[in-house]
Amino acid sequence: MIWVTWRQHRAQILVTAAFLALLGVLLLGSAVEASRYVAEHAPPGCPGAAVACGDLAVALGQRYDAVYSIFGWMPLVAPALIGAFWGAPLLGREYERGTHRLAWTQSVPVWQWLAVKLSLLGAAVVAGGLLLSLMVSLWRPVFRTGVDSTFGNIGVFNMVGVEPAAWWLYAFVLGTAAGTLFRRTLPAMVLVVAGVAVSMLTLFQLSDHYAEPARTELSGTVLLDDPDARLVSAAWVEPSGREVAEPADSGCPRRVDVGQSSKNAEAWQACLFGKGYRYAVYYHPPSRFWRFQWTEAGILALASAALGGLAVRRTLRRPG
Amino acid sequence: MSPALEATGLGVRYRRTWALRDCSLSVPTGRVAALVGPNGAGKTTLMHAAVGLLRPALGSVRVAGEAAFVAQDKPLYESFTVAEMLAFGRRMNTRWDDAAAADRLARLGIPLKRKVSGLSGGQQAQVAVTLALACRPDLLVLDEPLANLDPLARHDVMRSIMAEMAGQELTVLLSSHVVSDLEETCDWLVVLNGGRLQVSGGIEELLDGHLVLTGPDAASAAGAQVVGASRAGRQVSMLVRGAPPLDPRWQARRPGLEELVMGYLRSPESAALPGLTGVGA
Repeated sequence: MIWVTWRQHRAQILVTAAFLALLGVLLLGSAVEASRYVAEHAPPGCPGAAVACGDLAVALGQRYDAVYSIFGWMPLVAPALIGAFWGAPLLGREYERGTHRLAWTQSVPVWQWLAVKLSLLGAAVVAGGLLLSLMVSLWRPVFRTGVDSTFGNIGVFNMVGVEPAAWWLYAFVLGTAAGTLFRRTLPAMVLVVAGVAVSMLTLFQLSDHYAEPARTELSGTVLLDDPDARLVSAAWVEPSGREVAEPADSGCPRRVDVGQSSKNAEAWQACLFGKGYRYAVYYHPPSRFWRFQWTEAGILALASAALGGLAVRRTLRRPG
Repeated sequence: MSPALEATGLGVRYRRTWALRDCSLSVPTGRVAALVGPNGAGKTTLMHAAVGLLRPALGSVRVAGEAAFVAQDKPLYESFTVAEMLAFGRRMNTRWDDAAAADRLARLGIPLKRKVSGLSGGQQAQVAVTLALACRPDLLVLDEPLANLDPLARHDVMRSIMAEMAGQELTVLLSSHVVSDLEETCDWLVVLNGGRLQVSGGIEELLDGHLVLTGPDAASAAGAQVVGASRAGRQVSMLVRGAPPLDPRWQARRPGLEELVMGYLRSPESAALPGLTGVGA
């Protein structure tokens, strides 16, 4: 069965492995080049927060952005591809070609055929996702000492930790289930691409509720000093302590800004702060990184188990 | 002798429609059974139930020992080479005779290195049959094995299956809607029509037990069990079961297999089943 699984799915396995290898080479090359640059150009004490390190930080930032733009699409596109090319054909193609009647009338029982394929390919998909996460996690710190964005930036968040593995597995199982639904590959592929996009948007909306947001009251500024925090909502707090969305009767003149300038808004905010208003921010601090990672991975694992159960049930119930 | 295949009160339903109902039959070991009937009669459904691709809604179907199945259109993995198809069979089965399979393909002149998609329809059918035979099954179930094959390939496939029969305790159940393909090779007949079983029995005994009568349409059929009758002008031709009628104007002869099958298919209410004494039961 292991050989059968390999022989039937080796194209997907090899293409995915080649892609990850290519990405690995790219990331390694970029990290080596950046390290050399740092070694040659960094003033003493850099990289760091010192003013003298500014030029270095900009140069590293440019290098980072150039490489990131090459694979920044991966959090959304990679799971969709995994679902479409690993999941959808697993059963869809067998039904489509009628080969399920060959595969499921041998000595190996249908449940075993399905169990071996799901577990081997599922494990391969998880391994691929973890490898991606590992490579990205090793590569980013070379450029990003002191400025992290693994939590606040949802794209990066979905590419590190256990997220890629969870998403890849979910997409794979979703594609498999779609294959039993349509019994054809192409509609299953379409469903899995749409399904991954919808799931990702839904979980993005849902992620604010993974934990009770932290609350802090700012005075003098409306900006949280942690750039990696996830902002949930904000409100003004009147001097009386009442929280309001929009201050009314504050006596502060509010003029509309023109163009890209925000000086009128800033003046209005400064006036409010001067009158004893405070700015309440609800947010998730970056320290919740792993809590969010595991919550989302847990949701995806549960969904994968449910979809996998559905696929197995549909397959065993009506194998013909 | 215990039957190789036995169905009892078998009923299979697709959503609301019954594809097969109240089907009870048995095929004795060592027979080559022909499963005939028009399209949609339930032939494929019966076979899928026999090999476990379907769960019957009612009744049961039992195979003595292992069954091997060649589905309609002889599905194979097109991107596999013939050798890889053999490896597939080897790894998917507990009983597997690799040498016999390789030997059989060599005799048929099918190269092991060729991709399945590069084989002719006849060769693909032979590979599918070879895979099924290499499992050393007790029952070989073939769904329309001769469909889409040219006459030469039909003959080759049939002959090579029969050659395998000689060496082992094998029972074969094969379906076709072309009766003439089966005449030389089969010795058991199962007729399905509209999801119901019409005929099940040994071909020789069935042919011996029926008569084709021709006579004027005024002749009386009293005393005979008429399966079906057809008129051409003033001449009547009918298939009867058992003894001929008393009226001496009838001319009687033994039916051919095709006549027997057609006679029953034209009269879906008639049945010739073991344990049934009357026609039209």
